[in-house]
Amino acid sequence: MFIQRSMTRKVITIHPEAGVIEARDLLQQHKIHSLPVVGLEGTLIGIVTDRDVRSALPATILSEAELGQLKERVAQLKVKDIMTTQVVTLSPNNTLEDALLLMQQIHVGALPVIDRDRKILGIIAFRDILRGFAEVLGIDEPGTLLCILADDRQGQMKRIVDAITEEKIRFGSVLVARGWEKGKRAFFPYLFTHNIVGIKKKLEGLGFTLINPIEMYLEPLPPA
Amino acid sequence: MNRTGLLYDERYLRHRTGEGHPEVPDRLQAILKGLEDGNLLPRLTRVEARPADQRRIETVHDVAHIRRFEEACLMGKSELDHPDNQICYETFETALLAVGGILEAARLVLEGRLDNAFCAVRPPGHHAEVDRALGFCFFNNVAVTARFIQQEWGLKRVGIIDFDVHHGNGTQHIFERDHTVFYYSIHEHPTFAYPGTGREFERGLETGYGYTLNSPVLPGYGDLEYRDAIQRDLIPAFDRFQPEIILVSAGFDAHQDDDMSNINLSTAGYSWIMEQIMALAERHARGRVISILEGGYCLERLPELARNHVGILLGNHEIMK
Repeated sequence: MFIQRSMTRKVITIHPEAGVIEARDLLQQHKIHSLPVVGLEGTLIGIVTDRDVRSALPATILSEAELGQLKERVAQLKVKDIMTTQVVTLSPNNTLEDALLLMQQIHVGALPVIDRDRKILGIIAFRDILRGFAEVLGIDEPGTLLCILADDRQGQMKRIVDAITEEKIRFGSVLVARGWEKGKRAFFPYLFTHNIVGIKKKLEGLGFTLINPIEMYLEPLPPA
Repeated sequence: MNRTGLLYDERYLRHRTGEGHPEVPDRLQAILKGLEDGNLLPRLTRVEARPADQRRIETVHDVAHIRRFEEACLMGKSELDHPDNQICYETFETALLAVGGILEAARLVLEGRLDNAFCAVRPPGHHAEVDRALGFCFFNNVAVTARFIQQEWGLKRVGIIDFDVHHGNGTQHIFERDHTVFYYSIHEHPTFAYPGTGREFERGLETGYGYTLNSPVLPGYGDLEYRDAIQRDLIPAFDRFQPEIILVSAGFDAHQDDDMSNINLSTAGYSWIMEQIMALAERHARGRVISILEGGYCLERLPELARNHVGILLGNHEIMK
């Protein structure tokens, strides 16, 4: 999964000479949290986040008189004065997994995607990654999740996939959980069908156990 | 005792879905057997099935969808849009008869000749979208009925209660921008069950916001969780909305013995739900309820579930015992 498919291509950017007030307004207007700072040639020179902007601007609890003194200085404050210049970036050949792991590691919410000349191609934010994984799960199409318990030995997944394929059912995705219980693995195929009775019987006939998925999340159910 | 209508027609058996498909004609025969064994048939007024005027269907569905469906049946195709939606030569005609019969039941209720009605129809409808068949459904029976009631009878507020174990995606989508039709559904949580919609944060769109309400229930749960959700979500919402008529998408597949879900409603749990719906109808809708069959696939349990359901429509609670 390459980030090219999931990134936002219409990037809202700002010029380093622009005022901080303008940056604040852009962030609010587009409901975003970071603005790549781009020079005249379209090359990335920094990034400014809503946190940078908030730290730079006076607190809203100040009185009118106190604010009055600061007004002039705030008006003169420019994006280049508060931006981060050490920007962590990605290239279009990075994957969605790269972006996910990197964001977890460095605690940022969005990464600009640039080419070799540092020209900005897009930006990938947490919500783009979430959308990418929702597509991978296949949950944008109607379907049913099966929960199958199998022995933890080679070839079990193939048997499950073969059985489902024989029934001419299409897959949205298959998740695998290891260490479900000792010597077992749990498979969670998301199937694009409403008709699950036949395939459930078939899988049980092959010796698999269909489990209640709730056991994955919660303590055993209280007695009814 | 209420004057309760029963819509059933042998021609509803003509829609055949082939081997390995749970939505079979036997379902209706099981339901009828339950009504017969409960000695309810003599107390019910039979409603005559007749084909719906296609203009009625067009109040919900694209003309292209209707044409495609008809052609697929006449050309001898075996499915429409997805292998789930098995068809035969008679399916289109049967679907028209289902809608037409329900509209006839609605007319009798609105004219005051019946208090309520149960419509034992096939094929089911609540998954059908404006432009495609989905999840064994071709025409959205309950949606066409709601439009008919508003357009022909001028009712301003129609309430739909969907207790099929699967979310009625089609019905929700058709009315999600409409504040005159309130869609409530209780179903197995969409992460686990078909069709994957109906989360609690789906509340309607634009001016329809707040007029869609979903109660997803996690797999493994049953009567207690349903009781909580209906008291917490459905009853206050409908007491505020005050529907002038209640349409029920009656699916019996949340029963613990039904293979199509992981929800464990008991037979008594189903009766409790229907009693709550009847009480809502008494409070707001002069008792007017039109219940339309959706899913429910356990042939061993359908007779008792149908018997209790219709018994409660009749207002005779002793039948349930």
